[in-house]
Amino acid sequence: MARKRKDRGASEPAAASTVVVMALYITDSGPNSVRAVANLEAICKEHLQDNFRLEIIDVLQYPLRALADGIVVTPSLAKLFPLPTATVVGNLSDQGGVLRALGIVK
Amino acid sequence: MLGTSVEREFKKAILRLVKGGPERLAIEAGQIDAIIDPANGNAILLPDAQRALIERKQVDTLAQDPHRFARAILDALSFPIAALDQAGLVLSANQAWRALAATHRGVGTGVASGSNYLAACDDACGKEEVDGKAIAAGVRQVIGRERAQFRYDCACDSLAGRSWFALRVTGIAGHGEARAVVSCADITERKRAELLLGLEYTVACCLADAGTAAAALQSVIRAMCESQGWDCGRYFSLDQSAGVLRFNESWGIESPAIEQFLEKSRGMVFRPGAGLAGRVCQSGQPLWILHGARDVGVSPMALAPETGENGACVFPVTTDGKVIGVLAFSSSNIRDPDDRMLQAVHSIGSQLGRFLQRQQALVALRRSEMRFRVLSSLASDWYWEQDSDLRLTQVVGCSAFGSADILGMTHWDLPNVVLTEEEWDEHKSQLAARWSFCDFEFATVDPNGLPAYYSISGEPVYDERGAFTGYCGTGVDITKRKRAEIALRESEARLRALVRPPSD
Repeated sequence: MARKRKDRGASEPAAASTVVVMALYITDSGPNSVRAVANLEAICKEHLQDNFRLEIIDVLQYPLRALADGIVVTPSLAKLFPLPTATVVGNLSDQGGVLRALGIVK
Repeated sequence: MLGTSVEREFKKAILRLVKGGPERLAIEAGQIDAIIDPANGNAILLPDAQRALIERKQVDTLAQDPHRFARAILDALSFPIAALDQAGLVLSANQAWRALAATHRGVGTGVASGSNYLAACDDACGKEEVDGKAIAAGVRQVIGRERAQFRYDCACDSLAGRSWFALRVTGIAGHGEARAVVSCADITERKRAELLLGLEYTVACCLADAGTAAAALQSVIRAMCESQGWDCGRYFSLDQSAGVLRFNESWGIESPAIEQFLEKSRGMVFRPGAGLAGRVCQSGQPLWILHGARDVGVSPMALAPETGENGACVFPVTTDGKVIGVLAFSSSNIRDPDDRMLQAVHSIGSQLGRFLQRQQALVALRRSEMRFRVLSSLASDWYWEQDSDLRLTQVVGCSAFGSADILGMTHWDLPNVVLTEEEWDEHKSQLAARWSFCDFEFATVDPNGLPAYYSISGEPVYDERGAFTGYCGTGVDITKRKRAEIALRESEARLRALVRPPSD
């Protein structure tokens, strides 16, 4: 499947042993999409180190993928693993909300 | 407004499509780029995202066409730039270059695309001939790869006045058609500042070299005209006693019309508040009338009736904050002054004012000295000065001692003086006490053996620190009076002898 993928393996020790699997739905270089990518990268670097796998899906290139995954708006971040799944919408500037959705903080 | 209302309606429609609370909140907060159409999965872009994507698309398209991209970059540059081929033909020029070529006439700047830059430089004539030849030589060297770069500062004229450009010609490596790039940086502001600085220096030199107020005024007016390219200037001095401005001095370029205009200015008188000069005298503020501008209350023809509808620059000449005169310049190329120009005319007005005041004081001092010399020459026969050792350092107009060199002598060392030791001692004690003395008489024996009589008066002299530096005074030949007194005394004695009754 042709996807823009950023895949980080868990080859090095991580702060948390569980690998978080996420999908970020964006719209090309839309201003909020660009911000969302930057915000998520900062969060991952600070809190997940290498213990995550992130797939970035451009809905302009793969419209059916967003429809199939039940995405309503972009940017949207979907946490797929560990369960339960969760979705955060917007440019991810609310770091606390993102961390709670990812299960990093309660 | 239309875009805003359309966008508002669009947002309302979007919100109707979105059911979820978090999604609606994110849309309200402006954090969403697109919503997904539930019917087909297509992304419906929100306005900000739409704009960003269009801009991105344009940039991508531009980047794919290198020529268009290069042209857009060149056009975005604020300074003029053009590429020349081997023969000096302008292959390509940016927007700034085209604008410059359209508005400025001058060697090195006004060559349009498709024209030959080298030919334009070679054909320059008149005042531009030297610049043209220098630029053409430099460009040929760069095109011929004899040098990597050539720089030259040149001036050109436009409706807005004279501008200066720093020309830079850089060689292009490789075997392409373009061989050199010519760029121009506008250095007018810097050049004007340099000119004004030079003008202030020239004015200072004029004032230092001038021996008279008239010479100073002429050289300052000339320096200002030559520096700014103005036609003529006039100085009106304030006659304090009459309370009017009177024409004093002028300078103008060689032109019958200007000469006629200046000639007619002679004898002009302005009351404070009347005319441009009178208004400046009253307000103490400089006044600019631009060429062709209509100033309220001033007829343009009144500025320079013989030279047409000219502009004028009029500013006060001051000393200690008081206006003592007004400088008025007329020309067709007087431009709107900037802060630096205003600063320069203020500085020049003050410098000139101080000089004129010093000259006035100097003239008054010279007149006073002249009066003193005339009066002292009428009241005495000679004038003398001594140093602190009471030795004569200057004797003017004295013939009492013949051809003898008496400089360096004290009065009691003078040759053939007849005076007793007691009389000299009394005089010396007066001098030692630094007293003034008046009518101190002494006699000398002239070459014929006859007595001659003199009277001297003197005042001690002190320097500015109060130290005694000697005496100065005058001398009078009283020989005739003395001889008459002696003759009278002898006559009286003879008369008494005749009328005295015999004792026996």
